[in-house]
Amino acid sequence: MECVIGVVGRDFAVVAADTSAVQSILVHKTDEDKVMVLDSHKLMGASGEPGDRVQFTEYIQKNLHLYQFRNTIPLSTAATANFTRGELATALRKNPYMVNVILAGYDNDVGASLYYIDYIATLHKIEKGAFGYGSYFCLSLMDKLYRPDMTKEEAVDLVDKCIKEIRLRLVVAPQNFVIKIVDKDGAKEYARREYISDSPPDAAPVSEA
Amino acid sequence: MGDSQYSFSLTTFSPSGKLVQIEHALTAVGSGQTSLGIKAANGVVIATEKKLPSILVDETSVQKIQALTPNIGVVYSGMGPDFRVLVRKSRKQAQQYYRLYKETIPVTQLVRETAAVMQEFTQSGGVRPFGVSLLIAGYDDNGPQLYQVDPSGSYFSWKASAMGKNVSNAKTFLEKRYTEDMELDDAIHTAILTLKEGYEGQISSNNIEIGIIRSDREFKVLSPAEIKDFLEEVE
Repeated sequence: MECVIGVVGRDFAVVAADTSAVQSILVHKTDEDKVMVLDSHKLMGASGEPGDRVQFTEYIQKNLHLYQFRNTIPLSTAATANFTRGELATALRKNPYMVNVILAGYDNDVGASLYYIDYIATLHKIEKGAFGYGSYFCLSLMDKLYRPDMTKEEAVDLVDKCIKEIRLRLVVAPQNFVIKIVDKDGAKEYARREYISDSPPDAAPVSEA
Repeated sequence: MGDSQYSFSLTTFSPSGKLVQIEHALTAVGSGQTSLGIKAANGVVIATEKKLPSILVDETSVQKIQALTPNIGVVYSGMGPDFRVLVRKSRKQAQQYYRLYKETIPVTQLVRETAAVMQEFTQSGGVRPFGVSLLIAGYDDNGPQLYQVDPSGSYFSWKASAMGKNVSNAKTFLEKRYTEDMELDDAIHTAILTLKEGYEGQISSNNIEIGIIRSDREFKVLSPAEIKDFLEEVE
Protein backbone atom coordinates (compact mmCIF):
# COMPACT_ATOMS: atom_id res chain seq x y z
CA MET A 1 0.00 0.00 0.00
CA GLU A 2 1.20 3.49 -0.76
CA CYS A 3 3.09 5.45 1.85
CA VAL A 4 3.79 9.17 2.10
CA ILE A 5 5.87 10.64 4.94
CA GLY A 6 6.54 14.26 5.88
CA VAL A 7 8.83 15.90 8.44
CA VAL A 8 9.56 19.59 9.04
CA GLY A 9 12.68 21.20 10.47
CA ARG A 10 13.19 24.87 11.31
CA ASP A 11 14.02 26.01 7.80
CA PHE A 12 13.37 22.96 5.64
CA ALA A 13 10.78 20.23 5.13
CA VAL A 14 11.19 16.68 3.88
CA VAL A 15 8.56 14.72 1.93
CA ALA A 16 9.15 11.08 1.06
CA ALA A 17 6.92 8.63 -0.77
CA ASP A 18 7.19 5.10 -2.05
CA THR A 19 7.66 4.76 -5.80
CA SER A 20 5.55 1.68 -6.50
CA ALA A 21 2.70 1.74 -9.02
CA VAL A 22 0.52 -1.24 -8.11
CA GLN A 23 -2.74 -2.58 -9.50
CA SER A 24 -4.18 -5.58 -7.63
CA ILE A 25 -1.35 -8.14 -7.61
CA LEU A 26 0.68 -6.54 -10.37
CA VAL A 27 3.50 -4.03 -9.90
CA HIS A 28 3.42 -1.81 -12.99
CA LYS A 29 6.62 0.03 -12.10
CA THR A 30 8.90 0.63 -9.16
CA ASP A 31 10.03 4.18 -9.97
CA GLU A 32 6.79 6.19 -10.03
CA ASP A 33 7.42 9.69 -8.62
CA LYS A 34 4.54 10.61 -6.33
CA VAL A 35 6.03 13.77 -4.86
CA MET A 36 5.11 16.58 -7.20
CA VAL A 37 7.06 19.85 -7.27
CA LEU A 38 4.20 22.38 -7.28
CA ASP A 39 6.40 25.42 -7.72
CA SER A 40 9.86 26.64 -6.83
CA HIS A 41 9.27 26.24 -3.10
CA LYS A 42 6.48 23.71 -2.65
CA LEU A 43 6.23 19.92 -2.64
CA MET A 44 3.09 17.79 -2.68
CA GLY A 45 3.42 14.10 -1.85
CA ALA A 46 0.22 12.29 -2.78
CA SER A 47 -1.17 8.79 -2.36
CA GLY A 48 -4.42 7.18 -3.42
CA GLU A 49 -6.35 6.32 -6.58
CA PRO A 50 -3.70 6.56 -9.33
CA GLY A 51 -5.79 8.52 -11.86
CA ASP A 52 -7.10 10.91 -9.21
CA ARG A 53 -3.62 11.39 -7.76
CA VAL A 54 -2.09 12.63 -11.00
CA GLN A 55 -5.18 14.58 -12.03
CA PHE A 56 -5.56 16.33 -8.71
CA THR A 57 -1.90 17.21 -8.12
CA GLU A 58 -1.55 18.55 -11.66
CA TYR A 59 -4.75 20.59 -11.19
CA ILE A 60 -3.35 22.16 -8.03
CA GLN A 61 -0.01 22.78 -9.70
CA LYS A 62 -1.60 24.52 -12.69
CA ASN A 63 -3.80 26.67 -10.48
CA LEU A 64 -0.72 27.72 -8.52
CA HIS A 65 1.02 28.67 -11.74
CA LEU A 66 -2.05 30.60 -12.94
CA TYR A 67 -2.14 32.59 -9.71
CA GLN A 68 1.52 33.42 -10.11
CA PHE A 69 1.06 34.51 -13.73
CA ARG A 70 -1.92 36.68 -12.86
CA ASN A 71 -0.54 38.28 -9.73
CA THR A 72 3.26 38.12 -10.19
CA ILE A 73 3.62 36.75 -6.66
CA PRO A 74 3.46 33.08 -5.68
CA LEU A 75 0.75 31.80 -3.38
CA SER A 76 1.90 31.17 0.20
CA THR A 77 2.10 27.62 1.54
CA ALA A 78 -0.79 28.22 3.93
CA ALA A 79 -2.97 29.64 1.17
CA THR A 80 -2.06 26.69 -1.06
CA ALA A 81 -3.04 24.26 1.68
CA ASN A 82 -6.39 25.94 2.19
CA PHE A 83 -7.01 26.12 -1.54
CA THR A 84 -6.22 22.41 -1.90
CA ARG A 85 -8.51 21.55 0.99
CA GLY A 86 -11.25 23.68 -0.57
CA GLU A 87 -11.00 21.82 -3.88
CA LEU A 88 -11.20 18.46 -2.13
CA ALA A 89 -14.15 19.67 -0.07
CA THR A 90 -16.06 20.99 -3.08
CA ALA A 91 -15.63 17.72 -4.96
CA LEU A 92 -16.33 15.58 -1.94
CA ARG A 93 -20.11 15.43 -2.12
CA LYS A 94 -20.23 15.05 -5.89
CA ASN A 95 -17.20 13.35 -7.35
CA PRO A 96 -14.57 12.90 -4.65
CA TYR A 97 -10.85 12.79 -5.29
CA MET A 98 -9.52 9.70 -3.50
CA VAL A 99 -6.18 11.37 -2.83
CA ASN A 100 -4.28 11.99 0.40
CA VAL A 101 -1.72 14.75 0.38
CA ILE A 102 1.26 15.91 2.41
CA LEU A 103 2.06 19.49 1.39
CA ALA A 104 5.41 21.04 2.27
CA GLY A 105 6.54 24.57 1.49
CA TYR A 106 9.01 27.30 2.32
CA ASP A 107 7.95 30.94 2.67
CA ASN A 108 10.42 33.71 3.40
CA ASP A 109 8.33 35.22 6.18
CA VAL A 110 7.18 31.98 7.82
CA GLY A 111 9.95 29.45 7.15
CA ALA A 112 9.18 25.83 6.39
CA SER A 113 5.71 24.40 6.99
CA LEU A 114 4.01 21.05 6.55
CA TYR A 115 0.32 20.28 5.99
CA TYR A 116 -1.71 17.06 6.22
CA ILE A 117 -4.73 16.97 3.87
CA ASP A 118 -6.70 13.76 3.56
CA TYR A 119 -9.19 12.70 0.89
CA ILE A 120 -12.21 13.96 2.85
CA ALA A 121 -10.64 17.43 3.09
CA THR A 122 -9.27 17.32 6.59
CA LEU A 123 -6.58 19.96 6.97
CA HIS A 124 -3.95 20.00 9.69
CA LYS A 125 -0.76 21.95 10.04
CA ILE A 126 1.74 19.42 11.36
CA GLU A 127 5.40 18.87 12.18
CA LYS A 128 5.43 15.22 11.17
CA GLY A 129 2.90 12.98 9.50
CA ALA A 130 2.31 10.01 7.26
CA PHE A 131 -0.33 8.34 5.11
CA GLY A 132 -0.94 4.71 4.26
CA TYR A 133 -0.40 1.44 6.13
CA GLY A 134 3.19 2.56 6.62
CA SER A 135 1.90 5.32 8.88
CA TYR A 136 1.11 2.73 11.53
CA PHE A 137 4.84 2.16 11.87
CA CYS A 138 6.17 5.60 10.99
CA LEU A 139 4.07 7.76 13.30
CA SER A 140 5.25 6.05 16.47
CA LEU A 141 8.85 6.08 15.23
CA MET A 142 8.58 9.81 14.54
CA ASP A 143 6.92 10.46 17.89
CA LYS A 144 9.92 8.88 19.57
CA LEU A 145 12.74 10.29 17.47
CA TYR A 146 11.55 13.67 16.07
CA ARG A 147 12.92 16.92 17.44
CA PRO A 148 11.93 20.40 16.18
CA ASP A 149 15.55 21.53 15.77
CA MET A 150 16.70 18.64 13.59
CA THR A 151 19.20 19.22 10.83
CA LYS A 152 18.52 18.05 7.30
CA GLU A 153 20.75 15.04 7.78
CA GLU A 154 19.01 14.05 11.01
CA ALA A 155 15.60 14.43 9.38
CA VAL A 156 16.58 12.29 6.39
CA ASP A 157 17.99 9.75 8.85
CA LEU A 158 14.61 9.66 10.57
CA VAL A 159 12.90 9.14 7.22
CA ASP A 160 15.38 6.35 6.45
CA LYS A 161 14.50 4.64 9.71
CA CYS A 162 10.82 4.85 8.72
CA ILE A 163 11.59 3.37 5.32
CA LYS A 164 13.56 0.57 6.93
CA GLU A 165 10.64 -0.22 9.21
CA ILE A 166 8.14 -0.22 6.34
CA ARG A 167 10.35 -2.55 4.29
CA LEU A 168 10.78 -4.89 7.19
CA ARG A 169 7.36 -5.06 8.80
CA LEU A 170 4.70 -4.26 6.19
CA VAL A 171 3.40 -7.27 4.28
CA VAL A 172 3.61 -6.54 0.52
CA ALA A 173 5.74 -3.55 1.36
CA PRO A 174 6.90 -1.03 -1.24
CA GLN A 175 10.65 -1.33 -1.55
CA ASN A 176 11.71 1.83 -3.34
CA PHE A 177 11.27 5.42 -2.13
CA VAL A 178 11.95 8.96 -3.24
CA ILE A 179 12.96 11.70 -0.81
CA LYS A 180 12.52 15.38 -1.66
CA ILE A 181 13.45 18.44 0.38
CA VAL A 182 12.26 22.06 0.27
CA ASP A 183 14.23 24.89 1.88
CA LYS A 184 15.04 28.52 1.19
CA ASP A 185 16.90 27.50 -1.96
CA GLY A 186 13.95 25.65 -3.42
CA ALA A 187 12.29 22.29 -3.78
CA LYS A 188 14.24 19.42 -5.24
CA GLU A 189 14.85 15.70 -5.14
CA TYR A 190 17.28 14.75 -2.43
CA ALA A 191 17.70 11.01 -2.88
CA ARG A 192 16.17 7.74 -3.98
CA ARG A 193 16.22 4.64 -1.84
CA GLU A 194 16.21 1.61 -4.11
CA TYR A 195 16.02 -1.96 -3.08
CA ILE A 196 14.72 -3.42 -6.28
CA SER A 197 14.89 -2.30 -9.88
CA ASP A 198 12.79 -2.63 -13.04
CA SER A 199 15.75 -3.29 -15.28
CA PRO A 200 16.15 -6.83 -16.65
CA PRO A 201 19.50 -7.89 -15.13
CA ASP A 202 18.07 -7.51 -11.62
CA ALA A 203 14.54 -8.65 -12.33
CA ALA A 204 15.21 -12.15 -13.49
CA PRO A 205 18.75 -13.42 -13.14
CA VAL A 206 19.51 -16.08 -15.73
CA SER A 207 21.22 -19.13 -14.36
CA GLU A 208 23.65 -21.21 -16.35
CA ALA A 209 22.21 -24.50 -17.47
CA MET B 1 -30.68 38.27 -23.84
CA GLY B 2 -29.81 37.54 -27.45
CA ASP B 3 -33.28 38.26 -28.87
CA SER B 4 -33.79 41.69 -27.37
CA GLN B 5 -33.59 44.72 -29.61
CA TYR B 6 -31.40 46.36 -27.02
CA SER B 7 -28.97 43.55 -26.43
CA PHE B 8 -26.14 45.33 -28.20
CA SER B 9 -23.64 47.15 -26.04
CA LEU B 10 -24.55 50.76 -25.22
CA THR B 11 -20.88 51.60 -25.11
CA THR B 12 -19.95 51.44 -28.76
CA PHE B 13 -16.95 53.20 -30.26
CA SER B 14 -17.38 56.60 -31.80
CA PRO B 15 -15.51 57.30 -35.09
CA SER B 16 -12.88 59.23 -33.11
CA GLY B 17 -12.05 56.10 -31.13
CA LYS B 18 -13.77 57.14 -27.91
CA LEU B 19 -16.38 55.43 -25.81
CA VAL B 20 -18.76 58.33 -25.35
CA GLN B 21 -20.67 56.72 -22.48
CA ILE B 22 -17.46 56.53 -20.48
CA GLU B 23 -16.74 60.19 -21.19
CA HIS B 24 -20.23 61.03 -19.90
CA ALA B 25 -19.62 58.87 -16.84
CA LEU B 26 -16.45 60.82 -16.14
CA THR B 27 -18.48 64.01 -16.45
CA ALA B 28 -20.85 62.65 -13.84
CA VAL B 29 -17.84 62.01 -11.62
CA GLY B 30 -16.47 65.47 -12.29
CA SER B 31 -19.65 67.11 -11.10
CA GLY B 32 -19.78 65.02 -7.94
CA GLN B 33 -18.64 66.19 -4.52
CA THR B 34 -14.89 66.48 -4.07
CA SER B 35 -13.05 63.54 -2.55
CA LEU B 36 -9.34 62.97 -2.05
CA GLY B 37 -6.75 60.59 -0.71
CA ILE B 38 -3.17 60.88 0.56
CA LYS B 39 -0.69 58.07 1.08
CA ALA B 40 1.62 58.76 4.02
CA ALA B 41 4.72 56.87 5.09
CA ASN B 42 2.79 55.01 7.79
CA GLY B 43 -0.78 54.96 6.54
CA VAL B 44 -3.40 56.33 4.16
CA VAL B 45 -6.14 58.93 4.60
CA ILE B 46 -9.21 59.41 2.39
CA ALA B 47 -11.74 62.18 2.79
CA THR B 48 -14.77 63.70 1.13
CA GLU B 49 -17.25 66.54 1.44
CA LYS B 50 -20.59 65.48 2.79
CA LYS B 51 -22.95 68.20 1.51
CA LEU B 52 -26.51 67.10 2.13
CA PRO B 53 -29.48 68.38 0.12
CA SER B 54 -31.19 69.86 3.20
CA ILE B 55 -30.51 70.55 6.86
CA LEU B 56 -33.37 68.21 7.63
CA VAL B 57 -31.40 65.18 6.44
CA ASP B 58 -30.05 63.03 9.28
CA GLU B 59 -26.31 63.24 8.49
CA THR B 60 -25.45 60.27 10.71
CA SER B 61 -27.36 58.01 8.32
CA VAL B 62 -25.17 58.97 5.37
CA GLN B 63 -21.91 57.05 5.07
CA LYS B 64 -19.89 57.99 2.03
CA ILE B 65 -16.69 56.29 3.16
CA GLN B 66 -17.02 52.51 3.51
CA ALA B 67 -14.77 49.63 4.55
CA LEU B 68 -14.40 46.83 2.01
CA THR B 69 -12.36 44.62 4.34
CA PRO B 70 -10.90 45.28 7.79
CA ASN B 71 -7.80 46.70 6.12
CA ILE B 72 -9.21 48.35 2.97
CA GLY B 73 -11.53 51.36 2.71
CA VAL B 74 -13.03 53.30 -0.18
CA VAL B 75 -14.45 56.73 -1.00
CA TYR B 76 -16.04 57.99 -4.21
CA SER B 77 -17.04 60.94 -6.33
CA GLY B 78 -20.13 60.65 -8.49
CA MET B 79 -23.39 58.76 -8.09
CA GLY B 80 -24.00 57.41 -4.62
CA PRO B 81 -26.27 54.49 -5.60
CA ASP B 82 -23.71 53.22 -8.14
CA PHE B 83 -21.11 53.38 -5.37
CA ARG B 84 -23.23 51.22 -3.08
CA VAL B 85 -23.51 48.53 -5.76
CA LEU B 86 -19.74 48.46 -6.27
CA VAL B 87 -19.07 48.32 -2.54
CA ARG B 88 -21.40 45.34 -2.27
CA LYS B 89 -19.71 43.53 -5.15
CA SER B 90 -16.18 44.28 -3.92
CA ARG B 91 -16.96 43.08 -0.41
CA LYS B 92 -18.22 39.80 -1.82
CA GLN B 93 -15.13 39.39 -3.97
CA ALA B 94 -12.90 39.95 -0.95
CA GLN B 95 -14.78 37.30 1.01
CA GLN B 96 -14.66 34.84 -1.87
CA TYR B 97 -10.90 35.27 -1.97
CA TYR B 98 -10.72 34.62 1.75
CA ARG B 99 -12.88 31.54 1.44
CA LEU B 100 -10.58 30.16 -1.23
CA TYR B 101 -7.21 30.86 0.38
CA LYS B 102 -7.95 31.65 4.04
CA GLU B 103 -5.81 34.74 3.53
CA THR B 104 -6.94 38.37 3.30
CA ILE B 105 -7.00 39.68 -0.23
CA PRO B 106 -4.03 41.88 -1.19
CA VAL B 107 -5.04 45.48 -1.96
CA THR B 108 -3.84 45.30 -5.57
CA GLN B 109 -5.95 42.24 -6.26
CA LEU B 110 -9.15 43.72 -4.83
CA VAL B 111 -8.52 46.86 -6.89
CA ARG B 112 -7.99 44.73 -9.99
CA GLU B 113 -11.18 42.72 -9.46
CA THR B 114 -13.26 45.86 -8.77
CA ALA B 115 -11.83 47.48 -11.88
CA ALA B 116 -12.70 44.32 -13.86
CA VAL B 117 -16.33 44.65 -12.75
CA MET B 118 -16.42 48.26 -13.86
CA GLN B 119 -14.90 47.31 -17.21
CA GLU B 120 -17.52 44.59 -17.72
CA PHE B 121 -20.21 47.24 -17.58
CA THR B 122 -18.56 49.00 -20.52
CA GLN B 123 -18.71 45.94 -22.70
CA SER B 124 -21.95 44.16 -21.84
CA GLY B 125 -25.41 44.35 -23.37
CA GLY B 126 -28.08 46.55 -21.87
CA VAL B 127 -26.01 48.07 -19.08
CA ARG B 128 -24.34 51.43 -18.58
CA PRO B 129 -20.97 52.24 -16.99
CA PHE B 130 -20.84 53.11 -13.28
CA GLY B 131 -21.03 56.85 -12.65
CA VAL B 132 -18.33 56.84 -9.95
CA SER B 133 -14.60 57.02 -9.57
CA LEU B 134 -13.29 55.25 -6.49
CA LEU B 135 -10.34 55.98 -4.24
CA ILE B 136 -9.35 52.72 -2.56
CA ALA B 137 -7.06 52.94 0.47
CA GLY B 138 -5.50 49.90 2.05
CA TYR B 139 -2.62 48.59 4.13
CA ASP B 140 -1.21 45.11 3.54
CA ASP B 141 2.13 43.33 3.33
CA ASN B 142 3.15 45.78 0.61
CA GLY B 143 2.60 48.72 2.95
CA PRO B 144 0.11 51.60 2.60
CA GLN B 145 -1.49 51.92 -0.83
CA LEU B 146 -3.88 54.29 -2.58
CA TYR B 147 -5.59 53.47 -5.87
CA GLN B 148 -8.05 55.35 -8.08
CA VAL B 149 -10.49 53.35 -10.23
CA ASP B 150 -12.38 55.06 -13.06
CA PRO B 151 -15.70 54.18 -14.76
CA SER B 152 -13.74 52.73 -17.66
CA GLY B 153 -12.12 50.21 -15.36
CA SER B 154 -8.65 51.71 -15.54
CA TYR B 155 -6.87 52.04 -12.23
CA PHE B 156 -3.88 54.04 -11.05
CA SER B 157 -1.75 54.01 -7.95
CA TRP B 158 -1.38 57.45 -6.39
CA LYS B 159 0.70 59.09 -3.70
CA ALA B 160 -2.05 61.68 -3.43
CA SER B 161 -5.06 62.40 -5.59
CA ALA B 162 -8.41 64.12 -5.75
CA MET B 163 -11.63 63.66 -7.73
CA GLY B 164 -14.89 65.47 -8.28
CA LYS B 165 -15.86 69.16 -8.58
CA ASN B 166 -12.70 70.73 -7.27
CA VAL B 167 -10.25 68.26 -8.74
CA SER B 168 -7.78 70.62 -10.43
CA ASN B 169 -7.44 73.05 -7.52
CA ALA B 170 -7.20 70.20 -5.06
CA LYS B 171 -4.53 68.40 -7.08
CA THR B 172 -2.48 71.58 -7.41
CA PHE B 173 -2.75 72.11 -3.67
CA LEU B 174 -1.73 68.51 -3.00
CA GLU B 175 1.23 68.72 -5.39
CA LYS B 176 2.57 71.64 -3.40
CA ARG B 177 1.98 70.12 -0.01
CA TYR B 178 2.85 66.45 -0.54
CA THR B 179 6.13 65.05 0.78
CA GLU B 180 7.32 61.46 0.56
CA ASP B 181 8.02 61.10 4.27
CA MET B 182 4.74 62.58 5.49
CA GLU B 183 3.36 61.01 8.65
CA LEU B 184 -0.32 60.07 8.71
CA ASP B 185 -1.34 62.86 11.09
CA ASP B 186 0.29 65.43 8.78
CA ALA B 187 -1.52 63.84 5.88
CA ILE B 188 -4.85 64.16 7.70
CA HIS B 189 -4.19 67.87 8.29
CA THR B 190 -3.26 68.31 4.63
CA ALA B 191 -6.41 66.46 3.57
CA ILE B 192 -8.58 68.77 5.68
CA LEU B 193 -6.81 71.87 4.32
CA THR B 194 -7.29 70.62 0.77
CA LEU B 195 -11.01 70.08 1.33
CA LYS B 196 -11.24 73.48 2.96
CA GLU B 197 -9.70 75.15 -0.10
CA GLY B 198 -12.60 74.37 -2.36
CA TYR B 199 -15.37 74.19 0.22
CA GLU B 200 -18.35 76.46 -0.38
CA GLY B 201 -19.48 77.44 3.06
CA GLN B 202 -18.20 76.63 6.50
CA ILE B 203 -16.40 73.32 6.96
CA SER B 204 -17.32 71.41 10.12
CA SER B 205 -17.04 67.94 11.64
CA ASN B 206 -20.53 67.11 10.37
CA ASN B 207 -20.13 68.00 6.71
CA ILE B 208 -16.93 66.14 5.87
CA GLU B 209 -16.02 62.46 6.23
CA ILE B 210 -12.52 61.11 6.86
CA GLY B 211 -11.30 57.52 6.77
CA ILE B 212 -7.83 56.43 7.85
CA ILE B 213 -5.74 53.30 8.00
CA ARG B 214 -2.56 53.13 10.03
CA SER B 215 0.14 50.47 10.33
CA ASP B 216 -2.24 48.55 12.61
CA ARG B 217 -4.04 47.76 9.35
CA GLU B 218 -7.49 48.60 10.67
CA PHE B 219 -9.52 50.88 8.47
CA LYS B 220 -11.72 53.24 10.38
CA VAL B 221 -14.03 56.11 9.61
CA LEU B 222 -13.38 58.98 12.02
CA SER B 223 -16.25 60.03 14.24
CA PRO B 224 -17.40 63.68 14.17
CA ALA B 225 -15.69 64.17 17.54
CA GLU B 226 -12.36 62.92 16.16
CA ILE B 227 -12.75 65.10 13.06
CA LYS B 228 -13.42 68.06 15.36
CA ASP B 229 -10.07 67.50 17.09
CA PHE B 230 -8.20 67.48 13.79
CA LEU B 231 -10.13 70.52 12.57
CA GLU B 232 -9.14 72.44 15.69
CA GLU B 233 -5.49 71.52 15.18
CA VAL B 234 -5.69 72.85 11.65
CA GLU B 235 -7.24 76.16 12.58
